Amino acid sequence: MNDTIVEARNLFKHYKELNALDNVNLSLTANRIYGLLGRNGAGKTTLMSILTAQAFASSGEALVFGASAYENDSVLSRICFIRESQKYPDDFQPQHAFRSAALFYKNWDQEFADRLAEDFQLPVKRRIKKLSRGQLSAVGVIIGLASRAELTFFDEPYLGLDAVARQLFYDRLVEDYAEYPRTIILSSHLIDEVANLLEHVVVIDRGRIIMDADAEDIRGSAVTVSGSADKVDAFLAGRKILHRETLGSLASVTVDEALDSRERTEAQELGLELSPVSLQQLVVRKTMAGAAATGTGTGDFADDTMEARR
Amino acid sequence: MSRTVAVARMQLINKWTYIGWPLTILAASFLMSLAIFALIPVNEGKYGGGSQAPMWYFLVLGIQSMTLVFPFSQGLSISRRAFYLGTLGLFSLIALGMTGLYLLGGVIERATNGWGVYGFFFSIPWVTDGPWYSTAAFFFVVMMFMFIIGFWFATIFKRWGTTGTLVSTLGTSIALIGLAALTTLLEWWGHVGAWFAQQTPLSISGWAALLCVVLAAGSYTTLRRATP
Amino acid sequence: MIDDSKPIFMQIAELIENGIVDGSMAEESQVPSTNEFAAFHRINPATAAKGVNLLVDSGILYKRRGIGMFVATGARAQVIARRTEEFFEQYVKPLALEARKLGISAEQLNTMIERSSGLAPESGTDKERSAAL
Repeated sequence: MNDTIVEARNLFKHYKELNALDNVNLSLTANRIYGLLGRNGAGKTTLMSILTAQAFASSGEALVFGASAYENDSVLSRICFIRESQKYPDDFQPQHAFRSAALFYKNWDQEFADRLAEDFQLPVKRRIKKLSRGQLSAVGVIIGLASRAELTFFDEPYLGLDAVARQLFYDRLVEDYAEYPRTIILSSHLIDEVANLLEHVVVIDRGRIIMDADAEDIRGSAVTVSGSADKVDAFLAGRKILHRETLGSLASVTVDEALDSRERTEAQELGLELSPVSLQQLVVRKTMAGAAATGTGTGDFADDTMEARR
Repeated sequence: MSRTVAVARMQLINKWTYIGWPLTILAASFLMSLAIFALIPVNEGKYGGGSQAPMWYFLVLGIQSMTLVFPFSQGLSISRRAFYLGTLGLFSLIALGMTGLYLLGGVIERATNGWGVYGFFFSIPWVTDGPWYSTAAFFFVVMMFMFIIGFWFATIFKRWGTTGTLVSTLGTSIALIGLAALTTLLEWWGHVGAWFAQQTPLSISGWAALLCVVLAAGSYTTLRRATP
Repeated sequence: MIDDSKPIFMQIAELIENGIVDGSMAEESQVPSTNEFAAFHRINPATAAKGVNLLVDSGILYKRRGIGMFVATGARAQVIARRTEEFFEQYVKPLALEARKLGISAEQLNTMIERSSGLAPESGTDKERSAAL
């Protein structure tokens, strides 16, 4: 079952003044839930569009189920990718969109779609044009889930959904995936919310893959040490520091390394406090470290950083 | 092939788009024309030209197929080829059906001497004067032409944005003006006039059909590289 | 319930062990399926399976083909024995170390422990732990 179903080799996508994808290499295996994480504009949607042949790479190769998806019905029929800004025919209602999907996905489950529509309280007979942002997202989520396509992409599926509806989506996703295993690629920048659902994490930043690891390997792979600045610095000397913050004589330093139990005991004896680093914090730190290294701004992740700490 | 048929079926899920609205527009325009005909106290042939109303809707339909249905079809992982063939195939059938309706309307119109009020909705001087197949060809090709031109413009817009649309519109206008200027310069207007005088509705349909084929082929080539 | 301090599969294994220790998961009783664990804790089913398999490998759980996962006979004693060892390493050793630094004698330490257990109502597990020590 561990066959590769998505493979990207040296993918580049240039726009006028921007490298949307900058030498992306990626290999994804079947029947896992992947998180495609990164800031807005990092290249998540571009990458998914190119994999599904909705858009074209400037150079490089994108293979899905061993072949290019472009005009390839045998590949396309196994993919579902409703984008965040998905457009629908002008006079379509959600029920029309669902019936359309039923025509193209052999595993489509209409009952499941109906149940989801009820859960999301989606007015299936209202024109899609007139739906709220959250309801529009729900339409995409329902198509993605009920299509049960072998390779399903969710492109920031939570926009406009309230906390309850988002939780509903995550719950239904886990339940249905458990029953019908398939490959799910969940693009998100709300990392904390999805972290526990993911088996593997791919982080993209400014068109480059900066992290590609199993979620369980990442968990506990970094730690934040805080206490009096000189003690913290002495303790962490020579380690891979991701982030350093100081407040007077106190310091809080995040290192990209795990501590073994002897080191933990040592830290405790020094009166240092150890705290775990969430996936979101780690992604934020790594992204910012990358940005600092290339001297570019850190823009809109700052809010998420604050959120992560709260 | 089955996915191509599914594209056509998908666009018939909401029956209004391809069937309901054209018929409603036709009926509304027909009834309005009749009312106006009835109000004009002249007991000889009155021609309205209201039968062109659905044609404008087909232009819009062509545009929306590309701007809205195409992105949706991409979301459902439908190939561009299947989308193109399914959509154009469906519209051809709709155009055929509408042509049939126009012919039938024309027959009734003549039999009732203009619906009893001397009003001619489906008959157009010169155009519908020829044999039935000439009339049929003309209506069919005009409908196809409207749809394809809408589709083509939207394809250009999708592919190259506002600039592309502007450039292609301007380019077409400039080419036409240039052609006209050249004709004037070479004093060929007489020939052009003579050429037009020679045309029948059937031959005009033929030329328009040729243009349709060129535009349809152009749209397909552009669509092959278009993104939603 | 799930936090970021260590891999989730280890936390799942610990949660099941907790259930075995406090008796809510009796020996020879069936434990929830990995999918039920996944749905309940809102985690990836593969991760839940990894946690369960960790316990299968150490003989605490066993599989009955086509039925599900069960708590093995002797699982409770096994978990308690291992945790007791961990308890010694994690708590008693540093405790003794700190006591020595402060010049607290073993006797004083015992008195202090007795005083502290008077604060908390004694439960069966505490008794067994001290018995095992």
